[in-house]
Amino acid sequence: MFSLTLRQISRNSFVGANVSAFNVSKYSTVPEATLDIQKCTLHKLEHGPPTQATVTREDAIRFYWDMRTVRRMETMAGNLYKAKQIRGFCHLYSGQEACCVGMEAAITRDDAVITAYRAHGWTYVRGISVLGVLAELTGRASGCAKGKGGSMHMYTKNFYGGNGIVGAQVPLGAGIAFGLKYENKPNICVTLYGDGAANQGQLFEAYNMAKLWNLPCVFVCENNGYGMGTSVERASASTDYYSRGDYIPGMRIDGMDVLAVREATKFAREYALNNGPILIEAATYRYHGHSMSDPGTSYRAREEIKEMRETRDPITVFRRKILECNLVTPEELKKVDIEVDKEIDKAADQAKKDPEIPLGELYNNIYIHPDPDYTVRGCDPSIRVISH
Amino acid sequence: MASAFGHFGRRSIQFTGFRRILHYDPCNIVQRSTSEIRSFHLNRNVDASIPVAMPALSPTMTEGTIVKWHKKEGDPISPGDMLCDIQTDKAVITFDIEEEGILAKILKAENSKNVKIGSMIAVMVEEGEDWQNAEIPESSESSSEASTSSEPSSAPSAGEPTARIRMSPAARKMMEEYNISSPQTVPATGPHGMVNKGDVLKYIQTQHLTKIDLRKAAQVPPSPQKSTPTTPSTPTSSPVTRVPPSITVSPEGGYQDIETTNMRRVIAKRLTESKTMIPHSYVSIECKVDAAMKLRKKFIASGTKISMNDIIVKAAGYSLQRVQKVNSHWSGDSIQIQPTVDISVAVATDSGLITPIVRNAAELSLSQISSTTKALAVKARDGKLQPQEFQGGSFTISNLGMFGIGEFSAIINPPQTAVLAVGTSVLKPSAEGKPCSYLTVKMSYDSRAIDETEASQFLEKFQQVMENPSLLMV
Repeated sequence: MFSLTLRQISRNSFVGANVSAFNVSKYSTVPEATLDIQKCTLHKLEHGPPTQATVTREDAIRFYWDMRTVRRMETMAGNLYKAKQIRGFCHLYSGQEACCVGMEAAITRDDAVITAYRAHGWTYVRGISVLGVLAELTGRASGCAKGKGGSMHMYTKNFYGGNGIVGAQVPLGAGIAFGLKYENKPNICVTLYGDGAANQGQLFEAYNMAKLWNLPCVFVCENNGYGMGTSVERASASTDYYSRGDYIPGMRIDGMDVLAVREATKFAREYALNNGPILIEAATYRYHGHSMSDPGTSYRAREEIKEMRETRDPITVFRRKILECNLVTPEELKKVDIEVDKEIDKAADQAKKDPEIPLGELYNNIYIHPDPDYTVRGCDPSIRVISH
Repeated sequence: MASAFGHFGRRSIQFTGFRRILHYDPCNIVQRSTSEIRSFHLNRNVDASIPVAMPALSPTMTEGTIVKWHKKEGDPISPGDMLCDIQTDKAVITFDIEEEGILAKILKAENSKNVKIGSMIAVMVEEGEDWQNAEIPESSESSSEASTSSEPSSAPSAGEPTARIRMSPAARKMMEEYNISSPQTVPATGPHGMVNKGDVLKYIQTQHLTKIDLRKAAQVPPSPQKSTPTTPSTPTSSPVTRVPPSITVSPEGGYQDIETTNMRRVIAKRLTESKTMIPHSYVSIECKVDAAMKLRKKFIASGTKISMNDIIVKAAGYSLQRVQKVNSHWSGDSIQIQPTVDISVAVATDSGLITPIVRNAAELSLSQISSTTKALAVKARDGKLQPQEFQGGSFTISNLGMFGIGEFSAIINPPQTAVLAVGTSVLKPSAEGKPCSYLTVKMSYDSRAIDETEASQFLEKFQQVMENPSLLMV
């Protein structure tokens, strides 16, 4: 029998979690298990990631915790939006949790990540607390960008956002990888984009430069089947996004299986550090519409969404698998559920109540490390304020 | 073992057969994860029912109508299910719910209109709980609304310790006028805690404040209701009282808003159309009506009560038969001469002017015209006119004689081409010097259909027969 504290399990520290040690219940659980993964389709690669993955008990609970957090956080964001607490853009990640959780498990905090606007899940796994995300969405001072950025502009160390322009982040990602190589760091840059951005021209320019200079860049296409409202068949001449890198080797993986994503990313990281860029296409699915203004049902059947929820939902499938293998017990998972819900409810309450930043903040964060007496002009020439 | 699985087992029974993959589930665990459903923005207790609030499905929506419920009470709900269709300010959008549980109670039925954002529309309970006896959580909407309204006002003050009370210029002016010395006492509902004019007005009403400046003395009391252009009523008919439309007096005084009825709006629309689209021309003539008045007196003496208006109607009918061009409709391209003379007689009612039609007026006798007109006037005042009784007609007569109006011009009623405005009879010296009663009539006619000659011919005939009413007996 062994006990485990949830604090050790979850990577993110959270305030106020009164977690008592788990006791192994009537069922004995195993410390680790090996699960099968779907074989990947490969492009210009001799061997792909392994078809089996070993997962420890701690990792299993951690993945489950993180995925549930992302799911619940996105649901909460949707509810807040419907209550008009969040305004503007809000693109939800529900259904794609396995991508961010799986990939984060395979990289380190020193590796860089850059993604597009569907970034709340990534912001969380990269280290920002749920409060930091929700308060940023509601525009309060406790948000990760002090409420100045909102949904599409969340950043943290080695997480470059949060980018509104479709496909603009891919050349930036190649650039970050260039910087890492330039400074001889043993790190990669994971550059994510969607199936809608996959046809943008600048991506191919980025592929060229990455391959030419062998940059440690892992390009990831999160293919959720729809670019806004256009299905991939109607948008792309070639829907084999993993082969679109042409001279860049690629693979298509099951983006709804967190372990498959982890293994593929581990493989890709290894490859990128030694051989240059590689492309992963993660076949995934989003349940909500493109953004909160899109109901998501005018270009796809409700039955399709329902079917995906029932047969391929990353959380429920993973849950079933780890319960089957006795890695965890149902009570433990229920406890996780309760804790996650409690944490997010608390964060949401706080995100609604926290104050906004004062008006003086308007003039700050314009320059990095400005001189102490550096002033910035306001809307009127007579206004000059010291900028910090 | 059994107890733990029992909980799961029960749910699997609920959903087995739904998807084939469930049959292969060796641990008999349903794919749905257990989660306590929370709805954050209304207060809730753990293990109590979960309120479902009205969502803002479009950024500009403030209230909506629930068109249709897709779930009944007692139905299970899984994340992503359609809950109900809501009519927003833009379109009908389906509300998908992300929570899991059972729909316990529907609080706003189908076709509930004007449901505000944030108000409770349904209650859910977790799976396994007794949904029939679910308690409705106390709606803390008022408290949450109050808290949200105080939040924005506290937010700027939290940031700036010396925040002024923000108010709109109109609100500030009103506060000065009503001598509200401490602006903090006025509850603010504007954005970021701003005091609106509406807030000040409400405060004034609740506190029964009065203005301190001189304009208060000049407040005009509300004037009587009838603002319709006064129209004739036959002398013998009695007006029926109807509920007048409401007047709202603004507390600042000086003007009143009279709510328009549908009828008034239609009248306004038609009159505007007529006056702007039809080129009105006017001809008037004076008729000596002594003979007609004598005829009337004779009729009354013999028992038949007729009025001057009836004689005028008959005279007009006679003239229209002879100058057929005036008895026509303008149909955009052509002039349609009407087969019969149907005269619309203008009747004043409380809700506006209406013109019931005396059909085939030229062939009716004076007494028949009289009784028809009276009956129609009563029906008009009771609002019981059938459409065919006021739609159609080939000519209109409007009589303001009983108000003492000497002469006036009426507006043509399209598609008719002319209208006759009848004034009162005045005693004037005739050409021979005798005092005679003269009646002025002015005809407005559509210059597209009728030219001056025809109009004049009509009036000439009219005058002829008014001055020699025996011609009417032919």
